[in-house]
Amino acid sequence: MEILRYGRDVYGRETLEGASWDLIPVFAVIGALIIVAHLLYRWLLAPAGR
Amino acid sequence: MAASTIVLLGTAFLPILGVEFPWVTIHWTTGVVLSVLVIVHIVRSIFFKPWRAMLIGARDMNDALAVLRFNLRLTPREPPMPGKYTLAQKGIHATFALVVLTAVVTGCLMLAKIDTPFWQRNPYFLSEPSWGVIYLLHGFAALSLITLVMLHVYFSLRPEKRHYLRSMFTGTLSADEFGKNHDPQRWRAGDER
Repeated sequence: MEILRYGRDVYGRETLEGASWDLIPVFAVIGALIIVAHLLYRWLLAPAGR
Repeated sequence: MAASTIVLLGTAFLPILGVEFPWVTIHWTTGVVLSVLVIVHIVRSIFFKPWRAMLIGARDMNDALAVLRFNLRLTPREPPMPGKYTLAQKGIHATFALVVLTAVVTGCLMLAKIDTPFWQRNPYFLSEPSWGVIYLLHGFAALSLITLVMLHVYFSLRPEKRHYLRSMFTGTLSADEFGKNHDPQRWRAGDER
C-alpha cells in the first residue's frame, strides 16, 4: 500500500502528487474500529450512570 | 458547514471509487461556500459568542482524569459536570478546526489551477514541489474527514447524546437536560448573548 502518490513533471523528474487514495479504506476502518470499540465498551464495561 | 462537508467528501471520493460524474464544478463551488461559512463561523464565534467556552484548559484535563478514573472503576465518585462543553467536544472541535482549515486554505490555493467565470487558471502560481505539498495536505485533510465525520455522526446518534443532536437544530436544551448534563456554576447560559 502506498502512502504518497508520485508522478513525473514535463522534464521527467519525479514529483509529489499528493496522498495515496489507497488510504481511503484505512481512514474508514479507523473510524469503524473506534466506533466498535466504544460500542463494546458501553455495552460490556461502562459503569452505570454518566 | 456539515452539508457542504458531505458534498465535498462525496465529490472528492466518489469519482476515485469509480462513480463517474462531472464533479469539479460542484466541488470547487461547494468549497467556496464552505470557506465563506468558516469565515462567518469564526467572526460570529469571536465577536458574538463566548468563544472562551471552547478553549481547552487545565480544568478540562482534571475533568478528563476524573472521567477516566470513574470509567476504570478506580473511584465510585462520579466525575464533575462540565461547563458548556466537555473535553471530548472541545477536542473534536479543535481537530475539525485544524483539518477543515487545512482543507479550506489549501483548497483556496488550488482554485488557481482551474478556470472559473471569475479568473483564468494559472498552474504556475506555485512551483511543482509546492503544489505537491498543497495536494498532500488537502488529501490528508480530506482523508481525516472520513474518520472525523464517522465519529461525529456516531456520537451524535448515541442515545445519551440525543439532546445535543436536537440542540444542534433548535439551539436549545430543556432545563432538565441542562441540569442533568451541565454545571450551572460553570456555564451561566442565561448570561450568553
